[in-house]
Order: sequence, then C-alpha cells, then structure tokens
Amino acid sequence: MPSDIQPAASQLEQLEQALVQKIKTGDVELPLLPQAASKVMALASDPNADAAKLSALIHQDQALAAHVLRIANSPAYMPRSPVVSLQHAVAMLGITLLSEIAFTASLKTGAFKVPGYEDDVKQLWRHSLASGAFAKEVARMRRVNVESAYLCGLLHAIGKPVVLRTATTLASQQRIALEKPVLSGWMAGYHTEVGSMIADKWGLPKQVAVAIQYYGDYDHATEFRQECLLTCVANRLASHLLTPDEMPEDTLRDHSVFAELNLYPQDIDTLLLTKDQVLTIVNAMNL
Amino acid sequence: MSTPSTYDIIVIGAGPAGQKAAVQGAKAGKRVALIERERGIGGSCVYRGTIPSKTLRESALQLDRLKRAGEVFQFSLKPDMHIATLLSRLEQVVQAHDSFMSQQLRRNGISLLHGRAHFLNDHTIEMQTVDGAQQQLTAGTIVVGTGSRPRSPQEIPVDHEHILDSDSLLSMMYLPQSLTVIGGGVIGCEYASIFALLGVEVTLIDRAPYPLQFMDRELVDQFVQGLEQCGSHYRGECQITQVRWDQVAHVLTTLHDGTVVKSEKMLVALGRQANIEDLGLEAAGVTVSDKGLIPVNQYCQTNIEHIYAVGDMVSGPALASKAMEQGRRAVRHALNLPVGDAASTIPLGIYTIPEMASIGLDEKSARERYKDPLIGRAKFEEVARAQISGASHGLLKMVADPDGDRLLGVQIVGDSATELVHLGQLALQSSATVESFIDNVFNFPTYAETYRIAALDILGQVAKRRAAKAA
Repeated sequence: MPSDIQPAASQLEQLEQALVQKIKTGDVELPLLPQAASKVMALASDPNADAAKLSALIHQDQALAAHVLRIANSPAYMPRSPVVSLQHAVAMLGITLLSEIAFTASLKTGAFKVPGYEDDVKQLWRHSLASGAFAKEVARMRRVNVESAYLCGLLHAIGKPVVLRTATTLASQQRIALEKPVLSGWMAGYHTEVGSMIADKWGLPKQVAVAIQYYGDYDHATEFRQECLLTCVANRLASHLLTPDEMPEDTLRDHSVFAELNLYPQDIDTLLLTKDQVLTIVNAMNL
Repeated sequence: MSTPSTYDIIVIGAGPAGQKAAVQGAKAGKRVALIERERGIGGSCVYRGTIPSKTLRESALQLDRLKRAGEVFQFSLKPDMHIATLLSRLEQVVQAHDSFMSQQLRRNGISLLHGRAHFLNDHTIEMQTVDGAQQQLTAGTIVVGTGSRPRSPQEIPVDHEHILDSDSLLSMMYLPQSLTVIGGGVIGCEYASIFALLGVEVTLIDRAPYPLQFMDRELVDQFVQGLEQCGSHYRGECQITQVRWDQVAHVLTTLHDGTVVKSEKMLVALGRQANIEDLGLEAAGVTVSDKGLIPVNQYCQTNIEHIYAVGDMVSGPALASKAMEQGRRAVRHALNLPVGDAASTIPLGIYTIPEMASIGLDEKSARERYKDPLIGRAKFEEVARAQISGASHGLLKMVADPDGDRLLGVQIVGDSATELVHLGQLALQSSATVESFIDNVFNFPTYAETYRIAALDILGQVAKRRAAKAA
C-alpha cells in the first residue's frame, strides 16, 4: 500500500508497539494459501492421483505443510508416533484423510492475503522453498538426514508472512501507509519470535523449532546446533539464488557459518552448482 | 607460499588412531602436527560411529529396563519417541570427550591443525584450511589415519532420507515403524538389535546363512534369537536384486526369489571404504590395493618406509581399539622404540543386544588347530548376578587345549560381555592355566563367576576323559 505521504515517526512507533503487543499476546494466525488447498482438493478427486503427488503438492506450501503436520499430530487423529514429515503423514494417515486435513485447514483460515503485497508473499514462499531445497543439498553433503534439514529450511522463516499480514492489517486499521523497508525491518526483527510461537503452538519437532529461533544466531543455540548452521547456510544460498543483488557470491561466502559447518571453499562451489536444480524446483512449485 | 613448517611427525586424521599416534610421538619428545579436516577431534568414532551408536544403545537398554520395571511398578512410557530424545545425552558425551581429548593434545604440546591435507611428495604435506588458505608442512615421519566412511554400492540409491547409511541413520527425526538393514556385519547387527529393542520391526538381510560370520556360531545364534524375540527377523542367503523408494511411504527391497520386503526406512551397512581419494598418495608413491586400502606390514609401515597407515584405511574390522593400538605401534616403530606384541591379543567387542566379545581362538579355530580341544560353557542363568540384573540370557565359552590345561580363547555373549572379556585377555597374555580360574576367589555376585563355572566344566571333562582312557 505505497503512499507518497510518509507517516510520522510516532505513528510508526505506535504501530510497531501494537505489532509487538499482538506478538506478545500470541494474537497471530497461521495463514494458508487457498490455491494450494484447492489444488489438493482437485488432486484428491482425480482418479489418477496418488499419495506421492499429494505429498509433493502439500510440500509446495510451507504454511499448508505445517498446518497439515499440526493437524495430523492433533488429538483428533492421535498418531501412533509424532508425524513430523509429509511422507510420514501420508504413510500414517493415507491420501483421503490427508486431503481432508488440507481441506479443513483451508476452510479454517480462509485466505492468505496481504493486499498490495502479493509479490512480497510470493517471494517469501520462493525463498522458503529454495531454503528447503538447499538444506537438503547441504545435508547430503554433510551426510546427515535430509528430512529434518528440509523441514528446517522450509519453515525457518514461517514467521515472516505472519508478521507481514499482522503489520499490514494493523496499518490498514490505523490508516497508516507502510514503506517496504519498514516492513522488511519488522519482518527481519520479529519473525523468529513469531516463528517460535508458531513452532510451539503447532508442536513442531524440537530441532525445527530451534532452527527457526536460532538459525541467524546459532552461537546461542544450546542444542541442535548442526540444524541451525545448516539452516543458516540454506537461507544464505536461497538469498543468493533469488536476490543475487542483495546477496552476491562474495557476500554469501563471507560468513563464518561455512567454516562452522566445516564447508570448505570447494564444498561451497559444489553447492552453488545445484543452483539451477534448486531454481527448477522453486519454479515448478510456483504458487 | 611461505616456507614449510617442519615437524618430526605429521599425523593426518585425529580419529582414535591418529590421536594415539600423535600422543605417542609427543611423549617421546618429538615435534608433532596433527591435521584434522573436521572441526572437532575424534573422527567418525566420536561423531558418527562408536559414541553416537553406543549412546542410542544405552537409551534403548534403559528404556527396555524401564518397560520391564513398569510391569512391576505400574507405570508406562510414551509409546514412541523422537530419535533426538533418545540421543539427548549425546551432545554432552561428545563435548566431554572432545574436551578431554583436546586437553590431552594440548598437554602433550601437539600442534592441532584444522584443514584438508594432501601429499606434495613423500615428505611434504599441503594443507588447505576451511577458509581456503594454503600451508605446507614437512616431516621425517608421516602417519596417515584418515579413517573410513560407509560404502555406498552403486546399485542402491542412498538418499539419506529414506535409504540411509550409518552416518545419516541417527539424524532421522522419528523412530520408523519398520527398518530393513542390509548387511550382517558389525554395524548392521548392532543397529538391527538396537532398533529392534526400541520396538521397530527390523528385517536384517545378508548373503550369508547367518550374520557375523567371524564370530562363534553359538554366540551368533543367541543374537538372532534375541532379534526374533523382539519381533524382528534375519533373512540369510538372500541376494538383493533391487532397492527403491516407492515415492510414497516405503522402501521396497526385491530379493532374488522375487520376495519384496517393505519398510519405512532402510539402513545400508555394506562395509566401509577408506578416505584416501583426496590424499594425493600417488605423489608420495604410496601403494593402494584394489580394494582401496593401504597395504602395510605388522608395524603399519606402507611401501614407503617413513609413511605409516593406521586404522580403518588399513583393514577391517573398523574398531577404535584396534586403530588406537595401530597408531601407537606405528610411531613406536618409527622412533625405534619397543613395539610389543599386543596386536595379537586385541579383543573383539560387538555392541549388539545382547553384546558379544571374543579373545583368542574360538571353538572352530581351536578344532582346526588342536583337533579335540575342550570347551567349557557357563550359562549366565547359573550366576546370581545375571538373575538379579534380569539378564539371564548369556553364555561364556572357554576354549582350552585337549589336556584342559592351557587357555586358548574366550567367547562371551550377554550383558557386560565386552567388559568381561578383558579378564580372559589378561589370562591369555599371562599364559594362565584353566585351573587358575578355580584357584581364584571372585566377588559374589558377579558375571566373572562364569569363568570359574566354565573352568570347572573343562576340568570335569578332563576327568571324564582320563576315566575313559583308564577304562
């Protein structure tokens, strides 16, 4: 909602206070993309559809994926063991139930819409998908399980769209126009806090919750340090892939996280060779 | 490039073998550099192998004890757990180990360098640090101990997600409902029994009719029985024709007879391969065998006399204890210090559930060499300690010469087998007689009593033989 009229500093401060208040009270809601949900429904009614297609489709949407996991783990379904990945959810619940969950999730929150910020939202999804895909590549290189890495990469910035929507809703209510740098600053500043709340509320696996909270501050992680490091690397690689102007290769490499994860310059070269592959995945999942 | 740093000894790889080699060199007053490509020290043993798997094993055993106690004390456990919960102590264990080892290296004045090393020639190493800087080092003696990694056969698509190797297995997020393990060696059997005890339906598949071919058959039979009691299975004499992830929920393993084994996850445990590719061994003139191992003599000397190779890159089995001894021996030999013959009595310890251990000759080898050796058996159910611990499944076999006089070997399966075997090791090293186990007083109740029972069994057989001869 760009405007030529700049809000006064005090207005922005008040707005930020209101945002902080909402975050502190947990007054934030997980959004869903109805488009993805409708695709799920279409797939479910397709006689040629199979569980692999359904799983892949849900994977395209971090919010839906997380929502499905949360519901799959809820007392309503009482899984034998915690459902921590979509493959696991498919195995545990089957196509029909999973489709129902996806449909229910879409009904519950209606639409994820941030009027005027569609491109930003899309960019966030693309970044999350790229982070998830890169996280898998890094995990394979470090010979650790990629399942956990993907989830950490995909969901690490789950707080950002929530902050964006909450802030823009507040701004709309108070008739204040927000500039993108302000929003970007708020998203960067508050998304880990919101992400942690979401992780807690959804009962996400502990390593994913820790990665969401500490991927940018891994020295303060008291456990799952490897997942935090891996997510940090994946996040940087995703930024380099999607916004090379903001994250040129020199800037990408110039970070201690690579050495912390014991990735040598040749390892970074190898990871960069997967850029096209990751971009293909991101484009294939274009929402 | 600056002038190369000069050392007396360069050790490449800070796993168990490299550490012991470096410490031995430093204790002899030599200037030692220890190069490690990973950030931590300890190698696969600490981060991906021995310590993580034993930590998981300990959790499995504790859970099993609690489950059994729960029947008496009427409490229940959560039916399933995240792997991370079962490994919650791992970071503490690894940190404590890392801290202790770092102190030991510092105390001995060893230069610990973080980087990837490769030979420029037989006396010069070039090291690249993680930030890309280059450094050259030279030394009169070089010890290579870069360890090994799981072997990934081309025909099996290890993706570290559904089809895992022993490196990626423990970073699984949750316990699967079912697990196929390919390979009946030490790693395959250890993990098969751990996951079976944790309630996972395990199918262990191997070409051989029974797993752990190098171990005493009686011991292995008890292991297989234990696996089956947990609801898991061993499928021997099986050739695998195809492994694939069905893109949905299962790994499908097709066997030569057309049978398809379905499981949620798979562990590929088909041996290990030495980490030699990046070492530039050809620049130093070091020979590599067709199997990708470095041939060495009994002192771990390669074909280049001042270059030694130790640990997994020399030969299997990949045991930390063996690697440590090789590291120590190599450097003692290089420095013309007495080496000793400890290598001939390295015990085998296998951390399956139940665990197994062996020292000296087993029954089969003794029969080949002595025709009619005497075998004394002591079942754990005969000793009070096993009854108290609720671990009465176990067996100690004592192998003696046909006169029942000289001890030739000891094999054990059951609780504490890997500790108990050291009593037999000392007895073998000191050439103790079978009778000496009867002349000693053992604490009561202990598992060590089984030695006395097995010795009595042998002496009983000696008496019968004598009586038969006299008649």
